[in-house]
Amino acid sequence: MARTLAMFTDTSLCIGCRACQVACKQWNELGQELPEWTGTYQNHHHFTDKTFRLVRFVEEPTPGGDLAWLLMSDVCKHCAQAGCLDACPTGAIYRTEYGTVNINQDVCNGCRYCVSACPFGVVSFNRETGTARKCTFCNDRIHNGLGPACAKACPTESIQFGFRDDLAARAQKRVETLRAMGFKDAQLYGADSKGFLGGLNAFFLLLSKPEKYNLPSDPKVPQRHVVVDSLLSIGSAIAVGLGALFAFRNRGDGNA
Amino acid sequence: MPRTPGWEMLIVWYFFLGGIAGGAYFTAVIADAFGSLRDRPVARVGYFLSLPLVAACGILLILDLGVPTRFLNMLRVFKFWDPMSIGAWALGVFGLFAFASSVLSLSPSDAHAALRRKIGLVGIFFGFFLAAYTGVLLSNSAQPLWSDSRLMGALFLASGASTGMAAISLIMFLVGASAGEGWQKVKHADRFSMIFELVVLALFLILLGSAAGPLVSGRVAPLFWGGLVGVGLIVPLAIEFVAHRVKALGAIAAVLVLCGGFVLRYVMLMSIQA
Repeated sequence: MARTLAMFTDTSLCIGCRACQVACKQWNELGQELPEWTGTYQNHHHFTDKTFRLVRFVEEPTPGGDLAWLLMSDVCKHCAQAGCLDACPTGAIYRTEYGTVNINQDVCNGCRYCVSACPFGVVSFNRETGTARKCTFCNDRIHNGLGPACAKACPTESIQFGFRDDLAARAQKRVETLRAMGFKDAQLYGADSKGFLGGLNAFFLLLSKPEKYNLPSDPKVPQRHVVVDSLLSIGSAIAVGLGALFAFRNRGDGNA
Repeated sequence: MPRTPGWEMLIVWYFFLGGIAGGAYFTAVIADAFGSLRDRPVARVGYFLSLPLVAACGILLILDLGVPTRFLNMLRVFKFWDPMSIGAWALGVFGLFAFASSVLSLSPSDAHAALRRKIGLVGIFFGFFLAAYTGVLLSNSAQPLWSDSRLMGALFLASGASTGMAAISLIMFLVGASAGEGWQKVKHADRFSMIFELVVLALFLILLGSAAGPLVSGRVAPLFWGGLVGVGLIVPLAIEFVAHRVKALGAIAAVLVLCGGFVLRYVMLMSIQA
């Protein structure tokens, strides 16, 4: 396996220009969608089957009574422990040699288990192709020595592309700098490879709590209960089976 | 935040019919292998019922795919930790068992009956699996309610048993096979399954705690309390205990249990999906 690639999105540098969102649409030929009224400049509410990069515009009340923006360019996290990948029954979802997670559009049959398994609501079903869609980490570009289109287009280096270990070190320095500058809630999200989901290969620097950005504070691997749930089901099967066995073994008269 | 998968009526029907297919099959095997000769009609009805139902299940699942022609892609990989993957495999294997058991039920030969019982004792595991795995599939997602439910599989299995047995007893009543001891026995087993299902349902809600909100107080709450708990479990149990000697009422109770099984799958799937 090659060295793991990553995207580091530093939301403190985001100016909300949406160059990333447009570059993603254009490079990946994602097509037009009807806009949605979200109450802010944000469009859409959430990722769609044709929106893989999404700039979130979060309005936060300031102590002075004004509103301030929290801006964040959101994307598929390419989790080290990816629920979508574990859920996929066709093998269409796979991990590349760079550690990114991709959906093979020629194999996916549209069962949508990955949609239900993504803790971030990233994977979306496309009715026209009948397949699940999400950010590919610009798979074609990274296999030809280019960074993802979103990172390339970002004018403020809010989206940085590189090797994961380099970026994680850079992110750590940046968060310390911001805290020293007085951004008390500045925090990394998914940078720690020992943290939730084994770390995210698209990780973030946030200026507030994850919930403010519509991110779960503690996302979990969806398949973590398979064994317990299965054992409880087996217990249920034993109970029901014994009940039936009792009924058929005993020549009951129907009163029991 | 998590996005719902859009599993709607086709999947509600699949979960419902898959539960009946599994429940009818394992009931048939138990009647066949451990019952008396007079229980044979139960076994035969159970086997014959499971076969068309498993075929219907396959069709429903294929129709629900985004690209139905790629349904065989489910068999490209085998992921033992993935309910969707082993579910697809198990459905296929269960179909083979249902077919073999049904064909062997046609034969009057004792040797074939012995073989059928042996096959059934292996197939019974796939019957149980088919009834339960859909619950485990839901509870291993990132969705609220579903992923909070540790007993979803156990509950679906209990419902598969109660509906499978209700379907057998209803068919026996309709074809005039309700005179024998077998009918009484399957009704007896069904009563036990319904009581067990009520107990599992209560534990399910207790373990869920406040996460049960979408079920017990959401949009589907009237269906949950009225359709599943009331009409689907308590009323048929009351009928069974009060008026079990009236066969027509027994048949009505079976219809109500089947309705309850459908409502169970409906409220679980639709409570958190728009």
